[in-house]
Amino acid sequence: MNWPVALVVQAFLCLMSCAPSFASGVVSLNLCTDQLLVLLAPERVAALEPLARDPALSFVAAEAAHLPMVRADAEAVLRLKPDLVLAGQYGAQMTVALLKARGLKIIQVEEPQDFVAIATQVMRIARLLGVEQRGAALVARMQARLAALPSRKRGSALVWEAGGWTSGPGSLADAALHAAGWRESGTGGRIGLEALLANPPDLLVTETAPSTPSMATNLAWHPALRGIARRTIPPELLTCGGPFSVGAAELLAR
Amino acid sequence: MRAGLLLWASVAGLAIASLLVGGAGFGIPDWLILWDIRVPRTALAILVGGGLGISGAVLQGALRNPLADPGLLGIGGCAAFGAILVFYWGISALFAPALPAGAMIGAALGCATLMAFAGQALSGPSLILAGIALSAFASAFIALALSLAPNPFALAEITFWLMGGLEDRSLSHLALAAPPILLGCAILLRLGRRLDALSLGESTAATLGLDVSRTLLLCCAGVTLAVGAGAAVAGGIGFVGLVVPHLLRPLVGQRPGAVLAPSLAGGAALLLGADLLARLAPLLLPLGSEPRLGVLTALLGAPFLVRIARQVAP
Repeated sequence: MNWPVALVVQAFLCLMSCAPSFASGVVSLNLCTDQLLVLLAPERVAALEPLARDPALSFVAAEAAHLPMVRADAEAVLRLKPDLVLAGQYGAQMTVALLKARGLKIIQVEEPQDFVAIATQVMRIARLLGVEQRGAALVARMQARLAALPSRKRGSALVWEAGGWTSGPGSLADAALHAAGWRESGTGGRIGLEALLANPPDLLVTETAPSTPSMATNLAWHPALRGIARRTIPPELLTCGGPFSVGAAELLAR
Repeated sequence: MRAGLLLWASVAGLAIASLLVGGAGFGIPDWLILWDIRVPRTALAILVGGGLGISGAVLQGALRNPLADPGLLGIGGCAAFGAILVFYWGISALFAPALPAGAMIGAALGCATLMAFAGQALSGPSLILAGIALSAFASAFIALALSLAPNPFALAEITFWLMGGLEDRSLSHLALAAPPILLGCAILLRLGRRLDALSLGESTAATLGLDVSRTLLLCCAGVTLAVGAGAAVAGGIGFVGLVVPHLLRPLVGQRPGAVLAPSLAGGAALLLGADLLARLAPLLLPLGSEPRLGVLTALLGAPFLVRIARQVAP
């Protein structure tokens, strides 16, 4: 038996013997699960949702640039024959229902809204993928960074998102503000430009100006806001809750 | 003359009211809110509304069609489409005047298409049908362009470009839109005598020494400047140009030239009033946000269109 054949046979035998009890080919249909999957087990990726490559939304855009993509389309996903499909609770629900009916293993995860929930979710997906150690390391690093934040009390802060929407109590942005010592003054509703100026917060938190404009994102740069102290957060840190979201708290604590 | 004075007085009154109402509540606001938000909004309502009003009056005169309106004929939609291409693909972020320029190119193409139809002796209802087709085309391209736009928030902004709005505009929007709108209105205001001659029919006007194609070209240029620059900062606002000349004819007479200047003031007053209503609505009613400005003008204009359509029906 010449050696390349031996290698192939050996590889085959190995695949048979260490037949994974956990998923090997994983498809993610949601930007947030995309990022956790890439952070935990990039070698398992069968396909990611295309937004994972957008550097304005995805923390792992650089890594995702080399990974395969699939749209949330039941036919395209079925052709990949994944062992596990990760999806969110919203969006692509028709696709998820179709895939479920075809007997695929689908895990739908919630969007974590604080750092405890992020740690729980990282560990849950790490277990599903059989990479508990990597999960534990990610969580430990996040918790160390959280513990290193200065525990100083600061004034009121308003997270003013695209279109004038504010993050409210119980949101991920709220968790980042609290971790940095700020008091949330948003309600979760919309605050107009005039209402904001009539009652300005100590700190205005907006997203970093995107490279591609829209009226909703341009609002944060209206010239009337020039007198208010401002901190900008790259949107990929808070678009999804993940171990990287602690970066937003670090920016706010500066 | 008295009608003109009355109209400008109402514009002044509405403008003062407009400076005293907004998201921060009633009354005299902080200097910052007054100067950076309410002054540009009020001035834009006057300019955009005035431009739409006089454009409607000119188009109705030049095309000799009581249903002509820059919105209904698709010129506003073409302008919005031009603005969208420039805005969402980041060109206007690099060079701000590209925004009104893109809108004016769109408006010019729309206007030229219509004039070409009119030149083929397409008149009356068929010209309006051609305009409606152009308008549908523009709406479809607006929706297509925004669903392909690179910013994920763009899709939600289809309503702005189809329905218009003036909320949260700034002095820089005013600086971009005011010069072309003022120039366009100046061109249109001087067309009164030519339109009067044209009302006798193209051949009669030509025997009176009127250069018909030059007149149509000037109409196109003025409408392009006024409607194009307006749409760049306020989106697609319909029906102002349709309604205003019809409201004013009983006061100032049927002669096309006599309707022009009053339509400028009337359009300004109408859009200022509608914008004031849009701002009052969330203060007085349990609404989450302002109703779109174009929704209010359409609520007023659509029944009007039915009335005019019944008058012109054979």
